[in-house]
Amino acid sequence: MGGARTVGVTFGRAVPAVGEEAALVAELQAGSEEAFAYLLGVYQHPIFDLVSHIVEGPADAADVLQDVFLKIYRGVGNFHGESSLKTWIYRIAVHEALNHRRGFLRRLRREPVSLDAMHPNPRSGPAAQNCLDTPYAAAEQAERQEIVRNALASLPQPFRTVVVLREIEGLTYEEIAEVLGTATGTVKSRLMRGRELLRRKLCGYRD
Amino acid sequence: MFETCTEIRKFLSEYQDGAIDRDRFSSVRFHLTYCAACRQRMEEYQEVGACLQSLPQRRVSPELALRLRVQLSRRLHRNLVSRFLVFLDNALKPLLLPASGGVLGAVVFFALLMSVPGASLVSVPGAVIAAATPPRILALAPLNFPSGEEELVLVTHVNSAGKVLDYSVISGQSSPALLHRLDRMLYFSQFAPATVDGKPTEGQAVISLRRITVRG
Repeated sequence: MGGARTVGVTFGRAVPAVGEEAALVAELQAGSEEAFAYLLGVYQHPIFDLVSHIVEGPADAADVLQDVFLKIYRGVGNFHGESSLKTWIYRIAVHEALNHRRGFLRRLRREPVSLDAMHPNPRSGPAAQNCLDTPYAAAEQAERQEIVRNALASLPQPFRTVVVLREIEGLTYEEIAEVLGTATGTVKSRLMRGRELLRRKLCGYRD
Repeated sequence: MFETCTEIRKFLSEYQDGAIDRDRFSSVRFHLTYCAACRQRMEEYQEVGACLQSLPQRRVSPELALRLRVQLSRRLHRNLVSRFLVFLDNALKPLLLPASGGVLGAVVFFALLMSVPGASLVSVPGAVIAAATPPRILALAPLNFPSGEEELVLVTHVNSAGKVLDYSVISGQSSPALLHRLDRMLYFSQFAPATVDGKPTEGQAVISLRRITVRG
């Protein structure tokens, strides 16, 4: 409806391929509501997860997520495909999350936590599922995940962002460099430092 | 070739990701074959990576997802006409299915009703619906017909198209010449068929002819 009309492209619910991405960008730039709905469907969960690792809590992550998609809406007209759409969106998300973190004002409104968050999707398949055979195993796994989250949250910001983008979001060094606007060498060194810090925290080593 | 553990450990992270150049890759791999400490360090990095990858993805709550959709929709439809169209869309969409179902139901019902024998309505001029009517003469053929002084009474059998199928003279003279002219006259005459509930059907009509002289 409205002024925005689709040009007849149907997207599958997954990260779009290169050809599809160009069509998606054209739709977004034309102001198609369906294209934005598709974009939300594909990216809202990964971006929320990414932002959650950078800011303090779910309420802040929710605020940042809204800001990210508003920026995407405002900025998509200026997107000319210099990078992939995914990289561009991640760059906005990381910058927005870091800006939010730097700010002193915290919104007091608390976001209702999804039941999905209580029973989230395991990232890695069968190995993670096998651990949930008994209540004891489930509790143990939840405890272990909490320890990992706390260790990750305690990393200094530059290292944490790189580790999240690499280990959790699965971006390549080049993509991370594009997202952060830094050199690939910087990404490598930050990742090495980040991994080392995490190793010390999780494995209890003191070199 | 034999680099120290400190030098090698700088590249373990890249080695783990397969993002290391070929020469460096060979030297790290060679080092790991004999240095148990560095090998253990490498395994720990891999464990840390596995732990991070097994963290469940935090998902957007349905409330937040809805808020995002609404927020974006508002941005996309900022002018008044666009908002009105969205309002109209939202208002009409819930009615679309029941309304379509209703219209379709009515059409199906009407079609079924029309297919019942005797229930169809056919437009026969002057036909009275829900009543039986006999065939009627609309126009007699303009032919000379010398019937003499005696009245001639015919019983005609008229089909549903208004054509005379046959007839019989029940009163009056019936010479071959007269019957021949009678044949021609009835053939070129127009009849309205008999109707039952408005539907044309075959029927019989009694016609009385007396001293008729018709000139064309």
